[in-house]
Amino acid sequence: MKNLQWTEPQTVEQALAWLAKANGKAVLMAGGTDLFTEIKEGVVEPELVIDLKSIPGLASIQRDESGIRIGALTSVAGLAADAMIKRDYPGLSEAAGSLATPQLRNVGTVGGNLCQRPRCWYYRDAQMVCRKKGGSQCFAAKGRNKYHAIFGGRICHIVYPSDLAPMLIALDAQVTISSPRGDRSLPLAEFYALPEKNVRRENILAPEELVREVKLPPAKKGTRSAYVKLKERETWDFALVSAAVRGTASGGGLGEAAIVLGGVAPIPWRLGKTEAAIKGKKLSAAVIKEALRADIQEARPLEENGYKLALVEAAVTRALLSLMGPA
Amino acid sequence: MLYAKILRSPHAAAEVVSVDLSAAQSLPGVKAVLRLKEGRVKYEGEQIAAVAAVSEKTAEEALKLINVEYRTLPYVVTPDKAMADGAPRVHDSANVEKINEYSRGNIDQGFAEAEVTFERTYRTAIEIHQTAETHASVAKWDGDELTVWDSTQAIFNVRDGLAEALGIPETKVRVIKIYMGGGFGSKLDVNEHTIVAAKLAKETGRPVKITLSRKENSLCVGNRPSTQITIKGGAKKDGTLTALSLKNFTCGGLDRGDESSEPLIDVYSCPNVKVEEFTVFTNTGAGRATRAPGHVQGTFAFEGFMEELAAELGLDPLEFRKKNYTTSNQGGTGIVYSSKGLDKCYDIGAQKIGWTRRNRKPGEGQGKKRRGLGMASQIWWGGGVPGTLADIKIHRDGSVEAISGTQDIGCGTRTYMATVAAETLGLEPQDITIKIGDTIYPWAPISGGSLTAPSVGPAVRDAALKAADRLREMAAKKLSSPAADIVLADRKLFDKNKPENSIAFKDLVKELRREAVFHGERGPMPAGFAYNTFGAHFAEVEVDTETGRIRVLKVVGVHEVGRILNRLTAESQVVGGITQGISTALFEERVLDENTGKMVNPNLQNYKIATSMDMPEIVPLFVDLVDPRINNLGNKGLGEPPRIPPSAAVANAVYNALGVHLREIPMTPDKVLRALQGKEAGS
Repeated sequence: MKNLQWTEPQTVEQALAWLAKANGKAVLMAGGTDLFTEIKEGVVEPELVIDLKSIPGLASIQRDESGIRIGALTSVAGLAADAMIKRDYPGLSEAAGSLATPQLRNVGTVGGNLCQRPRCWYYRDAQMVCRKKGGSQCFAAKGRNKYHAIFGGRICHIVYPSDLAPMLIALDAQVTISSPRGDRSLPLAEFYALPEKNVRRENILAPEELVREVKLPPAKKGTRSAYVKLKERETWDFALVSAAVRGTASGGGLGEAAIVLGGVAPIPWRLGKTEAAIKGKKLSAAVIKEALRADIQEARPLEENGYKLALVEAAVTRALLSLMGPA
Repeated sequence: MLYAKILRSPHAAAEVVSVDLSAAQSLPGVKAVLRLKEGRVKYEGEQIAAVAAVSEKTAEEALKLINVEYRTLPYVVTPDKAMADGAPRVHDSANVEKINEYSRGNIDQGFAEAEVTFERTYRTAIEIHQTAETHASVAKWDGDELTVWDSTQAIFNVRDGLAEALGIPETKVRVIKIYMGGGFGSKLDVNEHTIVAAKLAKETGRPVKITLSRKENSLCVGNRPSTQITIKGGAKKDGTLTALSLKNFTCGGLDRGDESSEPLIDVYSCPNVKVEEFTVFTNTGAGRATRAPGHVQGTFAFEGFMEELAAELGLDPLEFRKKNYTTSNQGGTGIVYSSKGLDKCYDIGAQKIGWTRRNRKPGEGQGKKRRGLGMASQIWWGGGVPGTLADIKIHRDGSVEAISGTQDIGCGTRTYMATVAAETLGLEPQDITIKIGDTIYPWAPISGGSLTAPSVGPAVRDAALKAADRLREMAAKKLSSPAADIVLADRKLFDKNKPENSIAFKDLVKELRREAVFHGERGPMPAGFAYNTFGAHFAEVEVDTETGRIRVLKVVGVHEVGRILNRLTAESQVVGGITQGISTALFEERVLDENTGKMVNPNLQNYKIATSMDMPEIVPLFVDLVDPRINNLGNKGLGEPPRIPPSAAVANAVYNALGVHLREIPMTPDKVLRALQGKEAGS
């Protein structure tokens, strides 16, 4: 790795000032579990690391009349263990608890998890200059693509690896972004962008901005959530496919269901057609399978990842049916 | 001390046109730069140049300043491509080469006698050793004498390899290895990077340390070769095997793959056998012995075949194996085993797993999650090496050393050396100081091949017996008893007929004029017998038919390896073997990209190894049988045996659960789902 500068700002404003000054040559660090591997492998070579850990007040989970606010530096382990989250947003607790290993959950943060870089094995090899690194090809398209995207890939077939993002989107989370111009909030779903928008990035965060917190609307009575993560091994594994669902059980079906997939596309992948198709229906495995048909038709599996289609069906079915069970 | 780093080829095949070292040489902190390669590189990771600098970081910076001009050449990295017509040649010779053939009886006649014949092809992926501790060496010169601290399973091989590479006498090289974090066969010989460290140390006049990265460990220091094994078998309807043929295409990259036919040749009685094995060369890092080379792959294939053939015959797979039991090698046509407790392994294992719970017909269970039971037999060598040396040194203050130039690679060598010496001398294990891991000590073989316990254990026993004889004579004089009646126990020597007539070990050895050394040697094995280890593993699995996930619920591993020297370390060997076997069965695979010639998973994120959470209940058990003639302890090796059958037992359990045999490891969800789809389509 190259020599780099290190700074530990004490306020968000100081961090933003460092960012502005670095002119795109800086990286933000929260837990560092993702960033350090990238630096070590030479995938990124920042001139400045801005360590956000010293900024007070960003590592808390607070509730007020507008809902829940989760600071960007909240540890994933802290999120998983929070009693309020467990009670009102059980799917989020499950997603956080399913992530990586206890050690990584202790160090990793919510903000870092939402801003992590893809795990594509071509992207992570510094010697392979793919589109995401400024090159002219996606090596996965005709290469080894068992873990790659079945939806939305087109020019870059990464999958977005976060477990928290699909679940937070299913819960209608907003993300608060700080910049020298002040704070702005937007739906987390709009935070992520497909490769066509900017193949070098996975989100719309500008170089002078940082993620400050995530906000969840108040949990409605009777609304349930669940996260089903299918992986190869029992722990320390990214999702092959995951399904984050939210809905309110009523009369054997769900009102206003949200279904967001992880591990299948360059961004958390919402199954809008499936959501519409199950509306008002009494749910069963057969009904869900039928409802998934339209969304699944849009899949464009690569040579080695067609099996993910079966996993989508399994994950969505299990997640939705779990919402129907006893509370 | 200086730190070395090696620049390696990013290309699978290329001509090195030029190497410019000047910028690296002038970087502050760089003390030496070596060019290591002229001409053609043949795999990703091949050494090009090396740097010694004041820190690892400086050495890494210097590597980036070395300017190499390559002319890339056509390559092949997968065996299928390498075998195709017109494929680029890896070496100057053909990409496919015959490495083994064997036959007995008359294969055609054997198939003619068969009432059922059956043929299947099995595949195993390339596996990387992935030792927890990556390869590392420190080299230091004092004048013309070189000392190397190495992470190795074979200090004498490293010594001799360094002497040869550097053109110096073996007497000028000393290799030391105190503790290490795993070898599994990847540390059995001197490594290129160790020679580089020695050269850089010589050039700079300072000690040089080199530690390989996880990526280098994945690319450059060995792997378990892949296999594609086609087995055809013939049997009578009652299950009597009449013919077995095996054809293997194995791939060990630049080097030969693994002969994998031994289990088929030896485990069961069968008069007619034919074997042909071929290696396929590719532009990838060379294969290397990997804990039970050939047997892991050969057992997965052959024991899977036996399971499928049993189903074809409508027989219980365990009864089918018992039907073809033999007490002599070469499938009953050769010499008698000195001891063989495989039958007892079957009985114990079947009882402990609850064999009667299995699906009578593979795949007859219903539901999303299906359970199955499977088993596999194991054969391996493990007799030990005659000529292994060990000393017992008794000091006048009563302290005792057991000394041998062996190395403990985490298998309990220290523990059983102390146990054997203590028991023979009537002492406690903590009374014995163990001195190993240094080429200044008496010669011992590599710690590999399940050789160590049956080599070093008997040598220590021999030395301790000689020491005991001498002490008995001394005590006999002191106690006025016949030497033959003197017993060593409880840190005393006493007359067995008059136990009160005793002298403390500590008091007796004060009579020695100086410290006394007793030389022990592991003796020869009587000819006319076969010396092998045996075992049987039984596995229970649950397969999620919607997600393709396999969960191993329980593995019972029963082994017959002669006398067990220490139960705790023996059980640990079995647990470790089963852990790796499950990992091989479910997860591990080197993934190569034919388009770029590169390995895409040279890290522990994507080269997946089983975690503790993937481990089932493991039940290690032993048949307590003492081999009557193998050596003075009656023990055999246990390093490899438990590594051999678990992958096969797990695969057979999956077959029992699903009714479709995957025939390819690792059995990842994509393959399980594909097999299930194939089964649906076929039915």
